[in-house]
Amino acid sequence: MNKLVKLEWIKLKQKSILGEIVIYLSILMLLPLFFIKMVSADFGQNFDSLFELIKSIQRGMVLLGASMISQVFIEEYKNKTITLSFGYPISRKKLFLAKVLFIALFIFMVTIVSFLLTGVATYLLNQVLPIIHFSITGSNIVSYFSGMIVGSFIVTLISFIPLFFFAIWKRATVSTVICAIIAMNLPNFSPIFHFNNELMIVILCSIGALSVYLSIKTADRIGEI
Amino acid sequence: MNNAIRTKGLTKKANGRELVSNINLHIIKGEIYGFLGQNGSGKTTIMKMLTGLMIPTCGEIELLGNLLTEKTKSVLKRVGSVIEYPIFFDHLTAIENVKLHCDYLGFYDDKAISEALDLVHLKGVEKKQVKNFSLGMKQRLGIARAIITKPELIVLDEPTNGLDPVGIKDVRDLILMLNKDYGITFLLSSHILGEMEQIVDRIGVINNGKLINEVSLADIRKQRTDYIELVTTDVEKTVYLLESELQISNMKIIQDKKIRIYDWTQSLNTISKMLVLHDIEIEGIQKHISSLEDYFYKQINGGRHSE
Repeated sequence: MNKLVKLEWIKLKQKSILGEIVIYLSILMLLPLFFIKMVSADFGQNFDSLFELIKSIQRGMVLLGASMISQVFIEEYKNKTITLSFGYPISRKKLFLAKVLFIALFIFMVTIVSFLLTGVATYLLNQVLPIIHFSITGSNIVSYFSGMIVGSFIVTLISFIPLFFFAIWKRATVSTVICAIIAMNLPNFSPIFHFNNELMIVILCSIGALSVYLSIKTADRIGEI
Repeated sequence: MNNAIRTKGLTKKANGRELVSNINLHIIKGEIYGFLGQNGSGKTTIMKMLTGLMIPTCGEIELLGNLLTEKTKSVLKRVGSVIEYPIFFDHLTAIENVKLHCDYLGFYDDKAISEALDLVHLKGVEKKQVKNFSLGMKQRLGIARAIITKPELIVLDEPTNGLDPVGIKDVRDLILMLNKDYGITFLLSSHILGEMEQIVDRIGVINNGKLINEVSLADIRKQRTDYIELVTTDVEKTVYLLESELQISNMKIIQDKKIRIYDWTQSLNTISKMLVLHDIEIEGIQKHISSLEDYFYKQINGGRHSE
Protein backbone atom coordinates (compact mmCIF):
# COMPACT_ATOMS: atom_id res chain seq x y z
CA MET A 1 0.00 0.00 0.00
CA ASN A 2 2.91 2.37 0.81
CA LYS A 3 4.20 2.01 -2.73
CA LEU A 4 0.77 2.67 -4.24
CA VAL A 5 0.40 5.84 -2.14
CA LYS A 6 3.84 7.05 -3.29
CA LEU A 7 2.98 6.35 -6.94
CA GLU A 8 -0.05 8.64 -6.62
CA TRP A 9 2.35 11.51 -5.90
CA ILE A 10 4.63 10.60 -8.85
CA LYS A 11 1.67 10.79 -11.25
CA LEU A 12 0.74 14.36 -10.27
CA LYS A 13 1.90 17.69 -11.65
CA GLN A 14 4.06 18.25 -8.61
CA LYS A 15 5.35 21.75 -9.35
CA SER A 16 1.87 23.16 -9.80
CA ILE A 17 0.66 21.50 -6.58
CA LEU A 18 3.63 22.83 -4.62
CA GLY A 19 2.89 26.31 -6.01
CA GLU A 20 -0.74 25.95 -4.90
CA ILE A 21 0.38 24.97 -1.38
CA VAL A 22 2.70 27.99 -1.11
CA ILE A 23 -0.22 30.27 -2.01
CA TYR A 24 -2.52 28.62 0.55
CA LEU A 25 0.09 28.76 3.33
CA SER A 26 1.01 32.37 2.62
CA ILE A 27 -2.60 33.54 2.71
CA LEU A 28 -3.74 31.49 5.70
CA MET A 29 -0.83 32.47 7.93
CA LEU A 30 -1.54 36.19 7.56
CA LEU A 31 -5.32 35.99 7.84
CA PRO A 32 -5.76 35.85 11.67
CA LEU A 33 -4.06 39.17 12.35
CA PHE A 34 -5.65 40.73 9.29
CA PHE A 35 -9.08 39.59 10.53
CA ILE A 36 -8.50 40.92 14.07
CA LYS A 37 -7.25 44.24 12.74
CA MET A 38 -9.82 44.77 9.99
CA VAL A 39 -12.99 42.88 11.05
CA SER A 40 -13.25 42.15 14.75
CA ALA A 41 -10.79 42.98 17.54
CA ASP A 42 -12.75 40.68 19.88
CA PHE A 43 -10.77 37.68 18.59
CA GLY A 44 -7.59 39.22 19.97
CA GLN A 45 -8.85 39.46 23.54
CA ASN A 46 -7.89 35.97 24.76
CA PHE A 47 -6.24 32.75 23.58
CA ASP A 48 -9.49 30.76 23.17
CA SER A 49 -11.06 33.33 20.81
CA LEU A 50 -7.86 33.59 18.79
CA PHE A 51 -7.52 29.81 18.50
CA GLU A 52 -11.17 29.50 17.40
CA LEU A 53 -10.42 32.05 14.69
CA ILE A 54 -7.28 30.17 13.57
CA LYS A 55 -9.15 26.84 13.46
CA SER A 56 -11.91 28.40 11.41
CA ILE A 57 -9.37 29.93 8.99
CA GLN A 58 -7.50 26.61 8.61
CA ARG A 59 -10.73 25.02 7.35
CA GLY A 60 -9.84 26.85 4.12
CA MET A 61 -7.62 23.82 3.48
CA VAL A 62 -10.83 21.95 2.58
CA LEU A 63 -10.53 23.79 -0.72
CA LEU A 64 -7.06 22.29 -1.25
CA GLY A 65 -8.71 18.94 -0.55
CA ALA A 66 -11.17 19.58 -3.40
CA SER A 67 -8.26 20.44 -5.68
CA MET A 68 -6.47 17.21 -4.73
CA ILE A 69 -9.63 15.14 -5.25
CA SER A 70 -9.98 16.73 -8.66
CA GLN A 71 -6.41 15.91 -9.65
CA VAL A 72 -6.23 12.43 -8.14
CA PHE A 73 -9.68 11.19 -9.21
CA ILE A 74 -11.53 13.43 -11.69
CA GLU A 75 -8.55 14.25 -13.93
CA GLU A 76 -7.62 10.56 -14.10
CA TYR A 77 -11.12 9.77 -15.37
CA LYS A 78 -11.13 12.70 -17.80
CA ASN A 79 -7.68 11.87 -19.22
CA LYS A 80 -8.56 8.17 -19.11
CA THR A 81 -5.28 7.47 -17.26
CA ILE A 82 -7.43 5.62 -14.71
CA THR A 83 -7.68 2.80 -17.29
CA LEU A 84 -3.94 2.26 -16.90
CA SER A 85 -4.42 1.61 -13.18
CA PHE A 86 -7.36 -0.74 -13.82
CA GLY A 87 -5.13 -2.85 -16.09
CA TYR A 88 -2.67 -3.58 -13.27
CA PRO A 89 -2.99 -6.63 -11.04
CA ILE A 90 -4.47 -4.52 -8.24
CA SER A 91 -8.14 -4.46 -7.28
CA ARG A 92 -10.06 -1.23 -7.77
CA LYS A 93 -10.88 -1.09 -4.07
CA LYS A 94 -7.17 -1.15 -3.26
CA LEU A 95 -6.42 1.47 -5.91
CA PHE A 96 -9.12 3.78 -4.55
CA LEU A 97 -7.96 3.17 -0.99
CA ALA A 98 -4.43 4.20 -2.02
CA LYS A 99 -5.78 7.38 -3.61
CA VAL A 100 -7.87 8.23 -0.53
CA LEU A 101 -4.93 7.56 1.81
CA PHE A 102 -2.69 9.75 -0.31
CA ILE A 103 -5.15 12.67 -0.24
CA ALA A 104 -5.77 12.19 3.49
CA LEU A 105 -2.07 12.15 4.40
CA PHE A 106 -1.40 15.07 2.08
CA ILE A 107 -4.18 17.30 3.45
CA PHE A 108 -3.44 16.31 7.06
CA MET A 109 0.27 17.15 6.78
CA VAL A 110 -0.23 20.40 4.85
CA THR A 111 -2.84 21.51 7.40
CA ILE A 112 -0.44 20.72 10.27
CA VAL A 113 2.25 22.81 8.55
CA SER A 114 -0.30 25.55 7.98
CA PHE A 115 -1.32 25.56 11.68
CA LEU A 116 2.34 25.79 12.69
CA LEU A 117 3.17 28.56 10.24
CA THR A 118 0.03 30.50 11.20
CA GLY A 119 0.89 30.21 14.92
CA VAL A 120 4.49 31.33 14.40
CA ALA A 121 3.57 34.10 11.93
CA THR A 122 0.84 35.44 14.21
CA TYR A 123 3.21 35.49 17.18
CA LEU A 124 6.09 37.13 15.27
CA LEU A 125 3.91 39.71 13.51
CA ASN A 126 2.33 40.60 16.84
CA GLN A 127 5.80 41.53 18.11
CA VAL A 128 6.05 44.13 15.37
CA LEU A 129 2.41 45.27 15.25
CA PRO A 130 0.83 44.54 18.66
CA ILE A 131 -2.79 43.62 18.07
CA ILE A 132 -3.30 40.72 20.49
CA HIS A 133 -3.83 41.83 24.09
CA PHE A 134 -2.76 38.80 26.12
CA SER A 135 0.44 36.89 26.75
CA ILE A 136 1.01 33.32 25.60
CA THR A 137 1.45 30.72 28.37
CA GLY A 138 2.89 27.20 28.30
CA SER A 139 -0.58 25.66 28.58
CA ASN A 140 -1.69 27.79 25.58
CA ILE A 141 1.08 26.20 23.50
CA VAL A 142 0.08 22.69 24.59
CA SER A 143 -3.57 23.47 23.74
CA TYR A 144 -2.48 24.83 20.37
CA PHE A 145 -0.58 21.63 19.49
CA SER A 146 -3.33 19.26 20.56
CA GLY A 147 -5.99 21.44 18.87
CA MET A 148 -3.83 21.57 15.75
CA ILE A 149 -3.86 17.74 15.43
CA VAL A 150 -7.61 17.49 16.02
CA GLY A 151 -8.25 20.46 13.70
CA SER A 152 -6.15 18.92 10.88
CA PHE A 153 -8.01 15.65 11.27
CA ILE A 154 -11.35 17.50 11.01
CA VAL A 155 -10.20 19.37 7.89
CA THR A 156 -9.09 16.08 6.32
CA LEU A 157 -12.45 14.40 6.94
CA ILE A 158 -14.51 17.39 5.73
CA SER A 159 -12.37 17.48 2.57
CA PHE A 160 -13.77 14.12 1.53
CA ILE A 161 -17.43 15.25 1.48
CA PRO A 162 -17.49 15.77 -2.33
CA LEU A 163 -15.50 12.60 -3.09
CA PHE A 164 -18.22 10.02 -3.65
CA PHE A 165 -21.03 11.92 -5.31
CA PHE A 166 -19.36 14.81 -7.14
CA ALA A 167 -15.92 13.33 -7.91
CA ILE A 168 -16.33 9.59 -8.50
CA TRP A 169 -19.97 9.42 -9.53
CA LYS A 170 -20.47 12.72 -11.41
CA ARG A 171 -16.79 13.38 -12.17
CA ALA A 172 -17.47 17.15 -11.99
CA THR A 173 -14.68 19.50 -10.90
CA VAL A 174 -16.77 22.67 -10.49
CA SER A 175 -19.41 20.90 -8.35
CA THR A 176 -16.63 19.37 -6.23
CA VAL A 177 -15.16 22.81 -5.53
CA ILE A 178 -18.56 24.41 -4.81
CA CYS A 179 -19.41 21.56 -2.43
CA ALA A 180 -16.07 22.09 -0.65
CA ILE A 181 -16.69 25.84 -0.30
CA ILE A 182 -20.11 25.20 1.23
CA ALA A 183 -18.78 22.48 3.55
CA MET A 184 -15.92 24.59 4.87
CA ASN A 185 -18.18 27.58 5.54
CA LEU A 186 -21.12 25.80 7.16
CA PRO A 187 -19.62 25.79 10.69
CA ASN A 188 -19.10 29.58 10.42
CA PHE A 189 -22.79 30.08 9.68
CA SER A 190 -24.16 27.67 12.30
CA PRO A 191 -24.68 30.46 14.95
CA ILE A 192 -26.89 32.35 12.48
CA PHE A 193 -29.14 29.28 12.21
CA HIS A 194 -28.89 28.70 15.99
CA PHE A 195 -27.15 25.43 15.30
CA ASN A 196 -24.53 23.99 17.63
CA ASN A 197 -21.14 24.59 16.01
CA GLU A 198 -19.53 21.44 17.37
CA LEU A 199 -22.49 19.32 16.31
CA MET A 200 -22.20 20.79 12.82
CA ILE A 201 -18.53 19.78 12.66
CA VAL A 202 -19.37 16.27 13.84
CA ILE A 203 -22.06 15.97 11.14
CA LEU A 204 -19.69 17.22 8.43
CA CYS A 205 -16.94 14.82 9.54
CA SER A 206 -19.46 11.96 9.49
CA ILE A 207 -20.54 12.84 5.94
CA GLY A 208 -16.85 12.93 4.90
CA ALA A 209 -16.25 9.50 6.45
CA LEU A 210 -19.40 8.11 4.79
CA SER A 211 -18.25 9.51 1.45
CA VAL A 212 -14.90 7.71 1.81
CA TYR A 213 -16.64 4.48 2.79
CA LEU A 214 -19.03 4.58 -0.18
CA SER A 215 -16.22 5.47 -2.61
CA ILE A 216 -14.22 2.39 -1.67
CA LYS A 217 -17.20 0.10 -1.18
CA THR A 218 -18.66 0.82 -4.62
CA ALA A 219 -15.34 1.17 -6.49
CA ASP A 220 -16.15 -1.77 -8.78
CA ARG A 221 -19.56 -0.41 -9.81
CA ILE A 222 -19.48 3.40 -9.66
CA GLY A 223 -15.79 3.54 -10.52
CA GLU A 224 -16.39 1.81 -13.90
CA ILE A 225 -14.89 3.65 -16.88
CA MET B 1 -5.69 -27.78 -25.57
CA ASN B 2 -3.50 -25.15 -23.90
CA ASN B 3 -5.46 -21.89 -23.97
CA ALA B 4 -3.96 -18.45 -23.42
CA ILE B 5 -7.46 -16.98 -23.30
CA ARG B 6 -10.71 -18.80 -22.72
CA THR B 7 -14.02 -17.11 -22.10
CA LYS B 8 -17.34 -18.68 -21.27
CA GLY B 9 -20.61 -16.80 -21.79
CA LEU B 10 -18.82 -13.45 -21.53
CA THR B 11 -21.44 -10.68 -21.55
CA LYS B 12 -21.37 -6.94 -20.93
CA LYS B 13 -24.49 -4.83 -20.50
CA ALA B 14 -24.58 -1.04 -20.16
CA ASN B 15 -27.62 1.22 -19.86
CA GLY B 16 -29.90 -1.76 -20.43
CA ARG B 17 -28.18 -2.67 -23.73
CA GLU B 18 -26.05 -5.73 -24.40
CA LEU B 19 -22.71 -4.54 -25.77
CA VAL B 20 -21.36 -8.06 -26.15
CA SER B 21 -23.17 -11.26 -25.44
CA ASN B 22 -22.25 -14.83 -24.70
CA ILE B 23 -18.71 -14.79 -26.05
CA ASN B 24 -16.98 -18.17 -25.93
CA LEU B 25 -13.46 -17.47 -27.04
CA HIS B 26 -10.54 -19.90 -27.34
CA ILE B 27 -7.11 -18.50 -28.03
CA ILE B 28 -4.31 -21.02 -28.02
CA LYS B 29 -0.94 -20.30 -26.38
CA GLY B 30 1.66 -19.15 -28.89
CA GLU B 31 -0.73 -18.10 -31.65
CA ILE B 32 -1.51 -14.71 -33.11
CA TYR B 33 -5.25 -14.26 -33.01
CA GLY B 34 -7.09 -11.41 -34.69
CA PHE B 35 -10.50 -9.89 -34.07
CA LEU B 36 -12.38 -8.86 -37.19
CA GLY B 37 -15.45 -6.70 -36.89
CA GLN B 38 -16.96 -3.42 -37.91
CA ASN B 39 -16.81 -0.29 -35.74
CA GLY B 40 -19.00 -0.74 -32.69
CA SER B 41 -19.18 -4.51 -33.11
CA GLY B 42 -17.80 -5.07 -29.60
CA LYS B 43 -14.12 -5.89 -30.23
CA THR B 44 -12.78 -3.21 -27.88
CA THR B 45 -15.34 -4.05 -25.18
CA ILE B 46 -14.19 -7.68 -25.20
CA MET B 47 -10.54 -6.58 -25.08
CA LYS B 48 -11.29 -4.22 -22.18
CA MET B 49 -12.84 -7.07 -20.20
CA LEU B 50 -9.92 -9.37 -21.01
CA THR B 51 -7.45 -6.82 -19.66
CA GLY B 52 -9.33 -5.92 -16.48
CA LEU B 53 -10.39 -2.44 -17.65
CA MET B 54 -14.06 -3.38 -17.62
CA ILE B 55 -15.88 -5.75 -15.32
CA PRO B 56 -18.11 -8.26 -17.19
CA THR B 57 -21.82 -8.33 -16.38
CA CYS B 58 -21.65 -12.12 -16.47
CA GLY B 59 -19.47 -14.91 -17.79
CA GLU B 60 -15.99 -16.18 -17.09
CA ILE B 61 -12.54 -15.14 -18.25
CA GLU B 62 -9.56 -17.45 -17.97
CA LEU B 63 -6.15 -16.00 -18.84
CA LEU B 64 -3.12 -18.31 -19.03
CA GLY B 65 -5.03 -20.89 -17.01
CA ASN B 66 -6.07 -18.47 -14.25
CA LEU B 67 -9.53 -17.11 -13.62
CA LEU B 68 -9.66 -13.31 -13.95
CA THR B 69 -11.96 -11.49 -11.52
CA GLU B 70 -11.68 -8.22 -9.59
CA LYS B 71 -10.37 -10.21 -6.64
CA THR B 72 -7.94 -12.34 -8.65
CA LYS B 73 -6.18 -9.95 -10.98
CA SER B 74 -2.62 -11.18 -10.38
CA VAL B 75 -2.56 -12.90 -13.78
CA LEU B 76 -2.56 -9.42 -15.38
CA LYS B 77 1.13 -9.25 -14.41
CA ARG B 78 1.68 -11.65 -17.30
CA VAL B 79 -0.39 -9.63 -19.78
CA GLY B 80 0.58 -6.52 -21.77
CA SER B 81 -1.95 -4.36 -23.58
CA VAL B 82 -2.73 -1.24 -25.56
CA ILE B 83 -6.49 -0.69 -25.77
CA GLU B 84 -8.19 1.88 -28.05
CA TYR B 85 -5.30 4.35 -28.12
CA PRO B 86 -2.18 4.61 -26.02
CA ILE B 87 -2.79 6.61 -22.85
CA PHE B 88 -0.01 8.32 -20.92
CA PHE B 89 0.57 10.93 -18.26
CA ASP B 90 1.37 13.60 -20.84
CA HIS B 91 3.31 15.85 -18.45
CA LEU B 92 5.74 13.02 -17.67
CA THR B 93 8.58 11.98 -19.98
CA ALA B 94 8.51 8.73 -21.95
CA ILE B 95 10.93 7.06 -19.55
CA GLU B 96 8.98 8.29 -16.50
CA ASN B 97 5.78 6.82 -17.94
CA VAL B 98 7.44 3.49 -18.62
CA LYS B 99 9.06 3.39 -15.18
CA LEU B 100 5.72 4.21 -13.54
CA HIS B 101 4.22 1.22 -15.37
CA CYS B 102 7.08 -0.99 -14.17
CA ASP B 103 6.65 0.29 -10.58
CA TYR B 104 3.00 -0.78 -10.62
CA LEU B 105 4.03 -4.23 -11.80
CA GLY B 106 6.98 -4.49 -9.41
CA PHE B 107 9.35 -4.91 -12.36
CA TYR B 108 12.75 -3.27 -11.97
CA ASP B 109 15.07 -3.82 -14.92
CA ASP B 110 16.57 -0.72 -16.56
CA LYS B 111 18.14 -2.86 -19.29
CA ALA B 112 14.76 -4.25 -20.32
CA ILE B 113 13.35 -0.70 -20.46
CA SER B 114 16.21 0.42 -22.66
CA GLU B 115 15.81 -2.62 -24.94
CA ALA B 116 12.05 -2.10 -25.34
CA LEU B 117 12.53 1.56 -26.29
CA ASP B 118 15.22 0.51 -28.73
CA LEU B 119 12.93 -2.08 -30.34
CA VAL B 120 10.32 0.58 -31.14
CA HIS B 121 12.96 3.13 -32.24
CA LEU B 122 12.34 5.56 -29.41
CA LYS B 123 15.88 5.64 -28.07
CA GLY B 124 17.07 9.22 -27.73
CA VAL B 125 13.64 10.76 -27.11
CA GLU B 126 12.96 9.00 -23.83
CA LYS B 127 13.51 12.20 -21.82
CA LYS B 128 10.97 14.14 -23.87
CA GLN B 129 7.54 14.83 -22.35
CA VAL B 130 4.88 12.62 -23.93
CA LYS B 131 2.72 15.68 -24.70
CA ASN B 132 5.26 16.51 -27.41
CA PHE B 133 4.96 13.09 -29.07
CA SER B 134 3.13 12.45 -32.34
CA LEU B 135 0.37 9.82 -32.44
CA GLY B 136 2.75 7.39 -34.12
CA MET B 137 5.36 7.90 -31.39
CA LYS B 138 2.71 7.40 -28.70
CA GLN B 139 1.58 4.22 -30.43
CA ARG B 140 5.16 2.90 -30.43
CA LEU B 141 5.67 3.93 -26.80
CA GLY B 142 2.44 2.12 -25.93
CA ILE B 143 3.76 -1.03 -27.57
CA ALA B 144 7.10 -0.63 -25.75
CA ARG B 145 5.23 -0.35 -22.46
CA ALA B 146 3.19 -3.44 -23.27
CA ILE B 147 6.22 -5.61 -24.10
CA ILE B 148 8.68 -4.34 -21.52
CA THR B 149 8.03 -7.07 -18.97
CA LYS B 150 8.03 -9.76 -21.68
CA PRO B 151 4.47 -10.84 -20.89
CA GLU B 152 3.13 -14.19 -22.06
CA LEU B 153 0.08 -12.57 -23.64
CA ILE B 154 -0.21 -9.22 -25.39
CA VAL B 155 -3.54 -7.60 -26.35
CA LEU B 156 -3.26 -4.84 -28.95
CA ASP B 157 -6.30 -2.93 -30.16
CA GLU B 158 -5.60 -1.32 -33.55
CA PRO B 159 -1.82 -1.32 -33.01
CA THR B 160 -1.04 0.30 -36.37
CA ASN B 161 -3.35 3.31 -35.89
CA GLY B 162 -1.53 6.54 -36.62
CA LEU B 163 1.56 4.84 -38.02
CA ASP B 164 3.09 5.52 -41.43
CA PRO B 165 3.77 2.57 -43.80
CA VAL B 166 7.28 2.09 -42.40
CA GLY B 167 5.91 2.17 -38.85
CA ILE B 168 3.22 -0.36 -39.77
CA LYS B 169 5.84 -2.73 -41.16
CA ASP B 170 8.02 -2.25 -38.05
CA VAL B 171 5.10 -3.12 -35.76
CA ARG B 172 4.22 -6.15 -37.87
CA ASP B 173 7.81 -7.39 -37.80
CA LEU B 174 8.01 -6.75 -34.06
CA ILE B 175 4.85 -8.76 -33.38
CA LEU B 176 6.08 -11.63 -35.56
CA MET B 177 9.50 -11.56 -33.88
CA LEU B 178 8.08 -11.55 -30.34
CA ASN B 179 5.71 -14.36 -31.28
CA LYS B 180 8.40 -16.48 -32.91
CA ASP B 181 11.39 -15.79 -30.64
CA TYR B 182 9.64 -15.45 -27.27
CA GLY B 183 6.48 -17.50 -27.90
CA ILE B 184 4.27 -14.57 -26.85
CA THR B 185 0.57 -15.03 -27.65
CA PHE B 186 -1.05 -12.04 -29.34
CA LEU B 187 -4.65 -10.91 -29.56
CA LEU B 188 -4.98 -8.15 -32.15
CA SER B 189 -7.71 -6.15 -33.76
CA SER B 190 -7.41 -4.04 -36.87
CA HIS B 191 -9.58 -2.49 -39.54
CA ILE B 192 -6.90 -3.15 -42.13
CA LEU B 193 -7.79 -6.66 -43.20
CA GLY B 194 -4.73 -6.96 -45.45
CA GLU B 195 -2.55 -6.23 -42.43
CA MET B 196 -4.30 -8.89 -40.35
CA GLU B 197 -3.93 -11.40 -43.15
CA GLN B 198 -0.17 -11.00 -43.02
CA ILE B 199 0.15 -11.57 -39.28
CA VAL B 200 -2.60 -13.66 -37.73
CA ASP B 201 -2.88 -17.43 -37.43
CA ARG B 202 -6.57 -17.43 -36.55
CA ILE B 203 -9.41 -14.96 -36.56
CA GLY B 204 -12.60 -14.44 -34.60
CA VAL B 205 -15.35 -12.60 -36.46
CA ILE B 206 -17.35 -10.29 -34.19
CA ASN B 207 -20.63 -8.84 -35.33
CA ASN B 208 -23.22 -6.99 -33.23
CA GLY B 209 -21.52 -8.07 -30.01
CA LYS B 210 -21.46 -11.74 -30.91
CA LEU B 211 -18.62 -14.04 -31.88
CA ILE B 212 -19.85 -15.46 -35.18
CA ASN B 213 -16.97 -17.74 -36.03
CA GLU B 214 -13.40 -18.68 -35.15
CA VAL B 215 -11.35 -19.96 -38.05
CA SER B 216 -7.70 -20.36 -38.97
CA LEU B 217 -6.21 -18.46 -41.89
CA ALA B 218 -5.01 -21.80 -43.29
CA ASP B 219 -8.62 -23.01 -43.41
CA ILE B 220 -9.75 -19.84 -45.15
CA ARG B 221 -6.99 -20.33 -47.72
CA LYS B 222 -8.05 -23.95 -48.26
CA GLN B 223 -11.65 -22.89 -48.86
CA ARG B 224 -10.79 -20.10 -51.25
CA THR B 225 -11.49 -20.44 -54.94
CA ASP B 226 -9.15 -18.30 -56.99
CA TYR B 227 -9.96 -17.93 -60.69
CA ILE B 228 -9.33 -15.95 -63.88
CA GLU B 229 -12.38 -14.07 -65.10
CA LEU B 230 -12.56 -13.53 -68.85
CA VAL B 231 -15.09 -11.33 -70.66
CA THR B 232 -15.32 -11.95 -74.40
CA THR B 233 -17.76 -11.38 -77.28
CA ASP B 234 -17.57 -15.01 -78.49
CA VAL B 235 -17.94 -17.32 -75.53
CA GLU B 236 -18.39 -20.58 -77.47
CA LYS B 237 -15.29 -20.15 -79.60
CA THR B 238 -13.26 -19.04 -76.59
CA VAL B 239 -14.22 -22.15 -74.65
CA TYR B 240 -13.33 -24.33 -77.62
CA LEU B 241 -9.91 -22.65 -78.01
CA LEU B 242 -9.11 -22.86 -74.31
CA GLU B 243 -9.82 -26.60 -74.38
CA SER B 244 -8.10 -27.40 -77.64
CA GLU B 245 -5.14 -25.03 -77.55
CA LEU B 246 -4.35 -24.84 -73.85
CA GLN B 247 -5.99 -28.03 -72.52
CA ILE B 248 -7.98 -26.05 -69.94
CA SER B 249 -11.07 -27.93 -68.88
CA ASN B 250 -11.93 -26.58 -65.40
CA MET B 251 -14.01 -23.52 -66.29
CA LYS B 252 -17.53 -22.20 -66.00
CA ILE B 253 -19.60 -19.87 -68.16
CA ILE B 254 -21.16 -17.10 -66.09
CA GLN B 255 -23.84 -14.97 -67.73
CA ASP B 256 -23.51 -14.52 -71.53
CA LYS B 257 -20.03 -13.13 -71.89
CA LYS B 258 -18.13 -14.21 -68.80
CA ILE B 259 -15.99 -17.29 -68.33
CA ARG B 260 -14.38 -18.26 -65.03
CA ILE B 261 -11.24 -20.39 -65.38
CA TYR B 262 -10.33 -22.35 -62.25
CA ASP B 263 -7.36 -24.09 -63.87
CA TRP B 264 -4.09 -22.35 -63.01
CA THR B 265 -1.84 -24.37 -65.38
CA GLN B 266 -1.72 -21.47 -67.85
CA SER B 267 -0.82 -17.90 -67.05
CA LEU B 268 -3.02 -14.92 -67.71
CA ASN B 269 -0.52 -13.76 -70.30
CA THR B 270 -0.54 -17.09 -72.21
CA ILE B 271 -4.35 -17.15 -72.31
CA SER B 272 -4.66 -13.59 -73.61
CA LYS B 273 -1.88 -14.12 -76.22
CA MET B 274 -3.57 -17.25 -77.57
CA LEU B 275 -6.96 -15.56 -77.81
CA VAL B 276 -5.52 -12.52 -79.60
CA LEU B 277 -3.79 -14.82 -82.11
CA HIS B 278 -7.19 -16.36 -82.88
CA ASP B 279 -8.86 -12.93 -83.28
CA ILE B 280 -11.00 -13.25 -80.17
CA GLU B 281 -12.02 -9.89 -78.85
CA ILE B 282 -11.22 -9.67 -75.13
CA GLU B 283 -13.29 -7.13 -73.24
CA GLY B 284 -11.69 -7.93 -69.95
CA ILE B 285 -9.42 -10.41 -68.22
CA GLN B 286 -8.35 -10.45 -64.58
CA LYS B 287 -7.15 -12.65 -61.77
CA HIS B 288 -9.49 -12.96 -58.82
CA ILE B 289 -7.99 -14.09 -55.55
CA SER B 290 -10.48 -14.44 -52.75
CA SER B 291 -9.09 -12.95 -49.55
CA LEU B 292 -9.75 -12.54 -45.84
CA GLU B 293 -11.81 -9.53 -46.84
CA ASP B 294 -14.19 -11.73 -48.87
CA TYR B 295 -14.43 -14.17 -46.00
CA PHE B 296 -15.17 -11.36 -43.58
CA TYR B 297 -17.93 -9.84 -45.71
CA LYS B 298 -19.46 -13.29 -46.27
CA GLN B 299 -19.58 -13.77 -42.53
CA ILE B 300 -21.11 -10.44 -41.59
CA ASN B 301 -23.46 -9.67 -44.46
CA GLY B 302 -23.61 -12.59 -46.80
CA GLY B 303 -20.85 -11.40 -49.09
CA ARG B 304 -22.07 -7.83 -49.76
CA HIS B 305 -19.23 -5.33 -49.37
CA SER B 306 -20.52 -2.51 -47.24
CA GLU B 307 -19.62 1.08 -48.07
